[in-house]
Amino acid sequence: MKVILVDDEQKFINMLAKRLAFRGIQADTVFSGEDAIQKIQHSDYDVAVLDIKMPGISGLELKKKLSSLAPELKFIFVTGHGAKNTLENDLIKKDIFLSKPLNIDTLIKIINEITKK
Amino acid sequence: MREKFISSLKNFWPEFHKHKQNVHLDFFYTFKDYWHLWTMSIFILAVTALIPLCIVTLIHYQLIQKSVDSELNLRTERLTSNAKRSIAFFMEERLNALIFTVDEMGYEQLIDNKKLAEILKNLKHGFGGLSDLSVIDTDGNQVAYAGSFNLEGKNYKDQPWFAQGLKNKYFISEVFTGYRDVPHIIISVRSIRPDGSIFILRATLDTERLMQTLASYKTGEYADIFLVNNKGVLQTPSVHYGDIFTRTDLKIFNYSIRTEVSMATCQGVPVILGHSFISTDTVITPFILVVSKKKVDMMYAWLELRQNINWAVGISILLIVLVITLASTFMINKLYRVDKEKAETMLQMEQNQQLASIGQLAAGVAHEINNPLALINQTAGYVKDLFSFEEKAINDAEIVENIDSILDAVDRCATITQQLLGFVRQFDIKIKKINLRKLVNDVLSFYKKEAEYRGISVTVDIPDSVPEMKTDKGKLQQILVNLINNAFQAVDEGCCVDIIGSRIDAKTIELVIQDTGCGIPEESLVKIHEPFFSTKQEKMGTGLGLSITYGLVKKLGGNISVQSTEGVGTSFTLTLPVKIQEEELA
Repeated sequence: MKVILVDDEQKFINMLAKRLAFRGIQADTVFSGEDAIQKIQHSDYDVAVLDIKMPGISGLELKKKLSSLAPELKFIFVTGHGAKNTLENDLIKKDIFLSKPLNIDTLIKIINEITKK
Repeated sequence: MREKFISSLKNFWPEFHKHKQNVHLDFFYTFKDYWHLWTMSIFILAVTALIPLCIVTLIHYQLIQKSVDSELNLRTERLTSNAKRSIAFFMEERLNALIFTVDEMGYEQLIDNKKLAEILKNLKHGFGGLSDLSVIDTDGNQVAYAGSFNLEGKNYKDQPWFAQGLKNKYFISEVFTGYRDVPHIIISVRSIRPDGSIFILRATLDTERLMQTLASYKTGEYADIFLVNNKGVLQTPSVHYGDIFTRTDLKIFNYSIRTEVSMATCQGVPVILGHSFISTDTVITPFILVVSKKKVDMMYAWLELRQNINWAVGISILLIVLVITLASTFMINKLYRVDKEKAETMLQMEQNQQLASIGQLAAGVAHEINNPLALINQTAGYVKDLFSFEEKAINDAEIVENIDSILDAVDRCATITQQLLGFVRQFDIKIKKINLRKLVNDVLSFYKKEAEYRGISVTVDIPDSVPEMKTDKGKLQQILVNLINNAFQAVDEGCCVDIIGSRIDAKTIELVIQDTGCGIPEESLVKIHEPFFSTKQEKMGTGLGLSITYGLVKKLGGNISVQSTEGVGTSFTLTLPVKIQEEELA
């Protein structure tokens, strides 16, 4: 199982990647939407964890672009905005989003769930 | 019931006199000086109401005065005319009797003393007022005499009346004393004897009858009626001017047949003077009939009326002033209450806006804090993982590094919290030294993430030539938050927000906040600082942001202007004093 983490908070995703590695999940980190598009063309991923608010391409836009490149890819959104209600309108309901700071066990549980299907 | 009455009475008692100074609230009052407003209102209303009243009263006075004067003139004229006619008739009657006697008797019969005495008796009987009769020849010798004074054989050649008697066919003399030492008047008729020589029939009138006649015209106690000659010497006694033969200060009247009325003063008191020359068809007498009436006495009725009018006008004025004062107090009280409510509402709104700003800020802060918190969370988790998965020693360099990382993240949180706390604390008026560039950057730090996310390029250009300011930091910060917030809402992705500061002169600083956003339509531009004006959709904005920003700028003693072109962008230009005056803030 391969996961790609996209967030402009570099330390945060590096740390997250290391912790996922301890738990047997291989995670690559990129710091912007553009890098993510590059990266996905060279290797296959099962799950993408995207920050919603990023400079340049936002998480929501990035999802559309990545979906066209890798139709099988599953998405999990992460946001610093605590208010879930404002996001619900914009997000397609089947998408999953988690708010920062996130619990790693919850993340792994969700990753496992969506990759099972 | 009683309480209701007392509270309604309070409407008429100036409430604003109890106005308590409140620096925050006073700023929002439309009228600053209610005392002045109150006095001006009373003054203007009173003047407009009282001037016409006074003018009408004065006109009324003048009209009454005029009609009283003309009435007095008319009455005096009538009295004078009547008395004159009577006196003239008195003279004429006796003169005609003498003419008849001369024509009927002839010289020969007249010089008979017995006959003359009989004629005198008949004349006295028929007319009265005659005291004696005499016949005098051309040389002034008294040829015949009838009467009670023993004047037989007297010569009148040197008497002034005798020359006049010779000169005129008929003659009436002034009052004089003559040989008998009693005031009398002479009436003489000149005639011709059969031999052609001239003689005079003279009659003497005692003045008693004349005075009785005059006295009969004396109406009321204020009138004085008397005769003077054309030199102003009294011919009959006068109440005001003195006894007979007194020389009066009456101006000598020009001869006129008509009765005339004029104004004069007698012993310093204004009088109405009617006069008329007494003349008959056949002879002009030396007498002038004068009627003198003291004006004050005659105007007593008018003065009483005027006193009544004065009372009525005085009471009206008092009433008008009272009503105006009460009405003004009532109105100004209402105005004051409404203004007070408005000021309180505005202050409330400003506070609400401040709270809204804090809320907005807090949301931003929460987002900002969540990122470092996520990092702390992951790092701490990672440290835990290191121990649980790898069982590494405590002095491992990686652990130290990661602990540093946690501390760093905590620092980031602390900075943000401090900024937030600093922001809240500055709602009290506090004048501080401020570096404008630092303040702008502080405020922008809250928007950093949003700018990055939306790709908005924010440039700050505040050169070192901009001096340190001394002003209310909290207010300036709020102004900046409002304007920058505004700019961020106006721009789309990839647009620019520029903040440019410059020094205009030693006392003034200019700060321009411009964006390349949607711009403001021209019709909205004029309304932009009105409260509750908003182009944002319902519930999205209160419409108070810019209105309050304008108020805050004014409080800092500055100015704000806006230029905008639809589709091109908007720029707000702030001019602020380098040092704010303390009283301006108050």
